[in-house]
Amino acid sequence: MSRTTTRRSLSAAAAAERGQGGSSIDRQRRKLLVPFVGPAFIVYTLLFIIPAIGAAWISLHEWAGSGPMKFVGVKNYIRVFQDDLFMKSFGNTLLLLFVVGAAIFILAFAMTLVLRDMAGKKIVRNVIFFPHLINALVFGVLAGFIFNPGGMVNTLLKPFGVTEPPAWLAQDNIFPLIMATLVATTTGYFTTILMAGVDRIPPYYYEDCALAGANAWQRLRYVILPLTWDVFGTCAVLWTISSVKIFEIIWVFGGSSGAGIPPTQSWTTAVYTYVTAFSGQSTPAYGAATASAIISLALVSVLVVFLRRAMRRDAVEF
Amino acid sequence: MTTKFRFARTLAVMAGAALALSACGGGTNGSAGDGGTEGGTLSYWSMWKEGEQQQLIIARAIKDFEAETGATVNVQWQGRSNVQKLVPALNTNNVPDIVDGSYAKLAPILGDTGQALPLGDAYAAEVEGTKVSDLIPKKYLTANNILDADGTPWMLPYSLTSDGFWFDAAQHPELETAPPASWDDFIALLDKYKAEGKVPLAADGDIGGYNSMWFTTALVRTDGAGSFAKVVQDKTGAAWDAPNVLAAAKRVEQVVKGDYLIKGYNASKWPAQQQVWATGGAELMLNGSWIPTETGTYASEGFKFSSFPFPAEAGQPASVRADFGGWAIPKKAKNPELAQKLATFLLKKDYQDAYGTEAKVLPIRTDAATSPEMASVKKSIDGAKEIYLQNDGVTAPGYVEKVFWPINDELFLGKINAGEFVQKMKTATVQYWKDNS
Repeated sequence: MSRTTTRRSLSAAAAAERGQGGSSIDRQRRKLLVPFVGPAFIVYTLLFIIPAIGAAWISLHEWAGSGPMKFVGVKNYIRVFQDDLFMKSFGNTLLLLFVVGAAIFILAFAMTLVLRDMAGKKIVRNVIFFPHLINALVFGVLAGFIFNPGGMVNTLLKPFGVTEPPAWLAQDNIFPLIMATLVATTTGYFTTILMAGVDRIPPYYYEDCALAGANAWQRLRYVILPLTWDVFGTCAVLWTISSVKIFEIIWVFGGSSGAGIPPTQSWTTAVYTYVTAFSGQSTPAYGAATASAIISLALVSVLVVFLRRAMRRDAVEF
Repeated sequence: MTTKFRFARTLAVMAGAALALSACGGGTNGSAGDGGTEGGTLSYWSMWKEGEQQQLIIARAIKDFEAETGATVNVQWQGRSNVQKLVPALNTNNVPDIVDGSYAKLAPILGDTGQALPLGDAYAAEVEGTKVSDLIPKKYLTANNILDADGTPWMLPYSLTSDGFWFDAAQHPELETAPPASWDDFIALLDKYKAEGKVPLAADGDIGGYNSMWFTTALVRTDGAGSFAKVVQDKTGAAWDAPNVLAAAKRVEQVVKGDYLIKGYNASKWPAQQQVWATGGAELMLNGSWIPTETGTYASEGFKFSSFPFPAEAGQPASVRADFGGWAIPKKAKNPELAQKLATFLLKKDYQDAYGTEAKVLPIRTDAATSPEMASVKKSIDGAKEIYLQNDGVTAPGYVEKVFWPINDELFLGKINAGEFVQKMKTATVQYWKDNS
């Protein structure tokens, strides 16, 4: 027993020694680690980690943003979780993450399949990517032109005898509209990334599929998905992170291009956080706002870890 | 050895860069700290953006101020979010010497938190031979609670905002001479327009703050200024059971159910409906005194802006909404004396007249000139016995935007009736105070 321990510690020491020495390239690499990673690490610590710790500290207080701070422990978290409005906003965030996410990836894969064999696919790719280049604010403002009672859609519907068109921008319809807009603007982005992965697949796999009589679905299931799994995984993480932060499109979609704030039906946790701290209508509650922000951060972290776990596969070499 | 040296050098360069950056940050503060002597420097974060009428007047005044005192005023024309931006700045040393904003925005940030400088000196100063405290009519001070814990005002107003039912006086000259004297008269007027095939009322239903004017004003009319705030403050929620609260909600319901509001008001995006109103698509609109400036650019030709107040209640004193817009100075300001001087400078008759006639808003001085658009509002303000504020002065954290507006929207957009509104507000208010006490 003691001998194995000694042997193990001996081999560990030997490994450590090898680590110290190693090849000259290894040594060179190690020396460069600090000057290369250091600056990024310092900037990251200063701009992200320290503020995040600061936010966690603020979330334990009752604070109007300036003046005296009162320590209240986890009361802000309890209050935020008891707030129906926060739970509704949280639900909306999850809707964006899962429902919009699912729609985006189903559409993106479908487009990938169609685009692969299509004539003029480069042009089409550019066209579907284009909406992503436009600031979400533009869509928020455009929504007014398109869906207002006297807007474009209703004007177009009039010749067809629609005199009682749906109340497009009613408070309850705004969130579904935002979801649809997000699908329309984000699908192209992920299609482009997935296409890059699909383009890497050697053509003989498809030829093999054709010879074996595989249909489009089987081709997706047995060739494209396994060979683009790592790309898809990265896309899923990217979407998770960005969806939890979605803010500006909601802010401008719901009646706030100049006055007021969006209807609570369309709030996400990001909007909830903003209104709690910066609404300008009442005394700011920085403690509750940061508590809500920290909860969002925790949500993203948990989901990303979970996603990485769930998506983990051995990379297929080809 | 050489790599170690190289590493040390990298660190040194980075440290130098960091110092240089922080020096940049410090430089701006330092320059403002020249003391309160003549010719000092002043930093001002403005609620106006370049090009706005109010901005042009303030810019002109600042130019005159600089010429007269030899001071330098560094202005940032930040726009309406200036007060929100002030909050994080208050925790640093980079605090502006003076800011402006509405009472509703400044009070929660500076006034209520004790971060505002008491403006005793400014109020004691003289402008063109009159003491500043005599230029600000006393009656506003009951509602605009600008006194700090020691009883000294922390805000120096230069303008007022009010509200009312706006209409085109070219179309309806009769409303200028004989506006509806009671709620019943008002409903009769709406019925008359409806019978004539006109759209009686326009409203941008997506703006919670406009929707809530109906209920708060209706309640203030029957129970007096501060009555809505009192109902909100009642932690037991019992105040919501008062008959007058339900009656006020019923008036809102009456307007909603009466089919007086423009079609699609519940599904449009501001400013769609006020545009329709300004181009003759509806007769009346309940909104703020900023409407002539805001809709002036697209109003139909010959549109003559005028307004009448929300109908009065028999036996109740005439009351009117009057929110202060004006100056506040953070306690941390580097140059508070000069800042107070600038604040009082804007009260000169010349600039106050320009405020009324060029910017077409309501100047704080009663003797200042006003534009014809504001004549009707000015008349009701001067004649009012009582003053109340937007949201009746309720600033409890999150109450207005998370409790009141969402439920009031349901009432105004026709999803619930008056009884349900009162019940929901009662439950939500009790819950609010349970969570926030």
